[in-house]
Amino acid sequence: MNIRFVLRAGERGFSRLVSTGVNATYVAGHPDGVITRHSSFNFHEYQSGIAGFGHIRVFGDEVFSPGGTGYNMHPHHNFIIAAFVLGGALTHVNTIGKVDELRAGDYYVFSAGSGGKHAELNIGQEDLSVIYLWVLPGKLLAPPSYVRSHFDTKVGADRIVCLVGDEAGALPIGQTIKVSRLVTGRSGTPVYRSSPAHGVYVFVLEGEAGIAGTVLGRRDSMALSGEERIEIAARSGTDLLLVETAL
Amino acid sequence: MKKYLCLGCGFSYDEARGLPEHGLAPGTRWADIPEDWICPDCGTPKSGFEMVEIPYWSQA
Ligand SMILES: [Fe+2]
Ligand SMILES: [Zn+2]
Repeated sequence: MNIRFVLRAGERGFSRLVSTGVNATYVAGHPDGVITRHSSFNFHEYQSGIAGFGHIRVFGDEVFSPGGTGYNMHPHHNFIIAAFVLGGALTHVNTIGKVDELRAGDYYVFSAGSGGKHAELNIGQEDLSVIYLWVLPGKLLAPPSYVRSHFDTKVGADRIVCLVGDEAGALPIGQTIKVSRLVTGRSGTPVYRSSPAHGVYVFVLEGEAGIAGTVLGRRDSMALSGEERIEIAARSGTDLLLVETAL
Repeated sequence: MKKYLCLGCGFSYDEARGLPEHGLAPGTRWADIPEDWICPDCGTPKSGFEMVEIPYWSQA
């Protein structure tokens, strides 16, 4: 087992984006609107951490305050952006022509390709908690696309469920990337099966999990490579994401 | 001829194609673009781009 890095929750980059001042056009919302972003990898003004892992470039753990806070319409190319809603409601608007609302368990894959804009908004009355994952595309300037699905914690309890990637029931993505989620109702040691040629980034959303002798708590993460079997000693009430990527 | 991707938004610069609409002729090398140049879409500095070897979808 190759441990590439362990990143504790408090070691991540942190940004607090307000809707006034320099970010006034970027951040939507009333003057008290605020987005907090914990970045696992270098992103925007945070450049002193890890550059990325395999095809992964962004892993953002974000909270949008209620009442219209979010990102105004802005452009992208090429990146494949996936969002996994943990709590609250996300209103997603894109130039492919989609206006969508996503709640806990819902997730999307937006491939910006040859060019697409989007807005990400919390128009609800409670905090929106969402994970944003950006990956490099398999091809440049592909036709833009948007697909969405739902992860059911009841159906998925105590087993590793593939959300995104080349598996039945998962959302397709134009890259060698697989995103899976594990939610446990009891303690156990599920095994994640990976290609030994790939790397796996594990991010604990809630609870606690032991992997390769390392105990990860809430919002801790680690990257591994060269392993076919990854044993996850998870406590009951653990919720985690696994992102497998070609290296 | 190399390609570079903006890590702020995904905007791609291709040395072979240049960016004629932004004053960079086809064939302009990345090294020859001024250091204070920024991403035309999101303002990310030149240092926030990554060289990529990803084929175009249209060549698939
Ligand atoms: Fe965006
Ligand atoms: Zn950019």
